[in-house]
Amino acid sequence: MPVRGSRGGTYLDQQTLVAAGAPAPGSFEGNGRGSHLLGGQRAAAVSTVSTVVFIGGVIALFVFAPGAAAVRHTFFNPQQMKQAFLGDPSKGLYSVGKGLILNIEMFLIAEVLILFFALVIAVLRQLRNPVLFPFRMLAVVYTDVFRGVPLIIVIYGIGFGAPALYIRGVSTQSDFVYGIVALVLSYSAYVAEVYRAGINSVHQSQVAAARSLGLSQWKSLRFVVLPQAVRTVIPPLLNDFISLQKDTALVSTLGAVIEANRAAQIDSSTLFVYSSYTVAALLFLCLTIPLARFTDRLIARDVSRRMAGGATVR
Amino acid sequence: MRKTFVLVIFALIGLGLTAVASSASPASSSKAASAVLTAKASSCSHASIARDVYKIGSLTVATDSPAYEPWFSNNTPSNGKGYESAVAYAIAKQLGFSKSQVKWTVEPFDASFAPGPKKFDFDINEISYTEERATVVSFSASYYDVQQALIAMRNSRIVKHHTPADLRTYVFGDQIGSTSLAFINTELRPTQQPSVFNTLNDAKSALQDGRIQALVADTPTAQYISSSEIPKSVLVGQFPSTGEHYGLLFAKNDPLVACVNKAIATLKANGSLAKFQKEYLGIYTSVPTIKP
Repeated sequence: MPVRGSRGGTYLDQQTLVAAGAPAPGSFEGNGRGSHLLGGQRAAAVSTVSTVVFIGGVIALFVFAPGAAAVRHTFFNPQQMKQAFLGDPSKGLYSVGKGLILNIEMFLIAEVLILFFALVIAVLRQLRNPVLFPFRMLAVVYTDVFRGVPLIIVIYGIGFGAPALYIRGVSTQSDFVYGIVALVLSYSAYVAEVYRAGINSVHQSQVAAARSLGLSQWKSLRFVVLPQAVRTVIPPLLNDFISLQKDTALVSTLGAVIEANRAAQIDSSTLFVYSSYTVAALLFLCLTIPLARFTDRLIARDVSRRMAGGATVR
Repeated sequence: MRKTFVLVIFALIGLGLTAVASSASPASSSKAASAVLTAKASSCSHASIARDVYKIGSLTVATDSPAYEPWFSNNTPSNGKGYESAVAYAIAKQLGFSKSQVKWTVEPFDASFAPGPKKFDFDINEISYTEERATVVSFSASYYDVQQALIAMRNSRIVKHHTPADLRTYVFGDQIGSTSLAFINTELRPTQQPSVFNTLNDAKSALQDGRIQALVADTPTAQYISSSEIPKSVLVGQFPSTGEHYGLLFAKNDPLVACVNKAIATLKANGSLAKFQKEYLGIYTSVPTIKP
C-alpha cells in the first residue's frame, strides 16, 4: 500500500463516485442535484422567461429612457470612440490605444518584481531562527504599512516626494519608474500575504516528513513547502494581477505617464464627452478577461491533476 | 404549455416597454412646460426667471474646489472677491437676485459636462468655449477674453530663449482638461510629450521640483502663480490671443442663457466688467507678448 496523504484519500473517494455515475463535485449538471435545483422543466421555462424579461427591461431602459439619446451621444458616440482610440494631435487629443501600451509595460515589469519581492518577504516572515528576528519584524511592519496605505497615496508620496529630495540618482528618475516602484511596494505587501497563506496551507506533517528524511530547514522549505504553497495560491495571485492591471492607471497622477485612462480623461475634458472612457474600459476588459479565463483554466487543470495524482500514485 | 409561456414573455416585455415609455412622458411634458417658460423668460423679468431656476427663489452658482486666485479669493466663492465671484454676483443682481439669494455649490470640472440634470443654474470656473464643447452644454457670451502665458523658474533657459523653434525643445506640463494643454499641443508642439496633472497645484509643484520646465496658464492665473505662489518663478510672457474666451456653463439649451447674456451685455456696456478686471486682474496689464 502506498504512502498517501489525507488528501489523496479524499480525492480517491470522489473519483470512485464520479466513476459510479455521480455528478462531478461542484457541477450542477447531470440527473442528481442539478435538476432539483432548477425544479424541473416548468421551472426552467419560468427562469427563461424571467431572464428574457430582465434583460429586455434593461435594454429597454437604455433605449427608451428620457435621457437615452444624451447618454448615447456622450458615452457611446462611435465617431468619438474612434477618435479617442486613435488620438488626434492636431486637436490636442491623445490616443487611448497608445496609452494602453504603457499600462501593459508597467504591468509586466511590476508583476515580475512583485512576484520576487513578495516571495522574499513571505519567506522572511516564515523564518523561525531567533537571530533573524529583526528581519521578521521588518517584514511584518512592511506588510502592515503598505497594505494599509491607499495605493494612490504611495504613488503620490514617491512620485512627488522623491524629486523634492534632490538626491542624485533618486530624484531624477522618470515618473514611469516612480510609478512602478510604488506599484511594487504596495502590491508586494498583498502578494506576500497570499504567499504566506499558501505556505501555511501546507500541512506541518509535510515539513516533519521532509526533516525526518534529513533535509535541512531551508531545503525542506525550498523543495517541499514552497512548490506546494505556490501551486495552491496561483489563482489568488492571478486575481491580484488582474487588479494590478487596472491600478497601473493610477500612475498617471504623476503627470508624465499618459496611459490609457489619462488619455481618455484628456479627451473627455477637451470635448466634453465620455466616449473615450468607454474606449478605455473596453480596452482594459480586453486585457483582464483573457487573464481571468486563463486563471479558470489553471484552476481546472490543477484540480484534475491532483485528482489524477490521488488515483494513480502508488 | 409552451405557447402560453411565449405569450407570457411577450406580454411581460410589452408591459416593461409601456412602463418605461410612461415614465418617459412626464419628463417630456415638463420639457414642454419649460418651453412655455422660455417664451415668458424672454422678457427676463425677475418673476419669470425665478420660476426657471434650479432652486426656486435663489440663483445656484457652481465652481470647482479649490477655486483658484485671482478668479476667487481664499477658496471662498461667497465672499464676492476675485473676478469670477464678482462677476457672478453682478449677473445675479442684474437678474434681480439679492446677494443672500446667491447659493454656491461645488461642481468638479469633470462632472460639469455630464449628461443628466444639472445641480446648478450656471458654472463659473474658467471654462473656455469651444465648438465641440458647445454641442454638449450651452455657454454664455464671453465674460473674459483669454490669452495663454508662460511661467518658468527664473534661472531656466526658457526665460531668454523662447522662439518658436526653442519652445519645441522644452518639457511642458499642465492641468488636465485645460485649454492651455491643448494650446501646448496644437500651437507650441513640443517634441517631448507634456506632463498632464490632476490639478494645477500638482503642476506647480512639478515646476518647482524641476520635473517640468514650463507651465502654460491663462495670463491672470500665470501672473498670480509667478508673483505670489512659486518663489523664484517668472511670467516669461503671454501669447497673442487665439480668440479664446471664458463662458458660463449651462445645461444644454437652458432658457436662462438668453437672460444671462443680456446681463453680461449690460455689464460690458456700463463698464462693470472692465472695473472688475482692473480691480482683480489689474496688475496683469503690462505683460510682454511672445510671438509663437
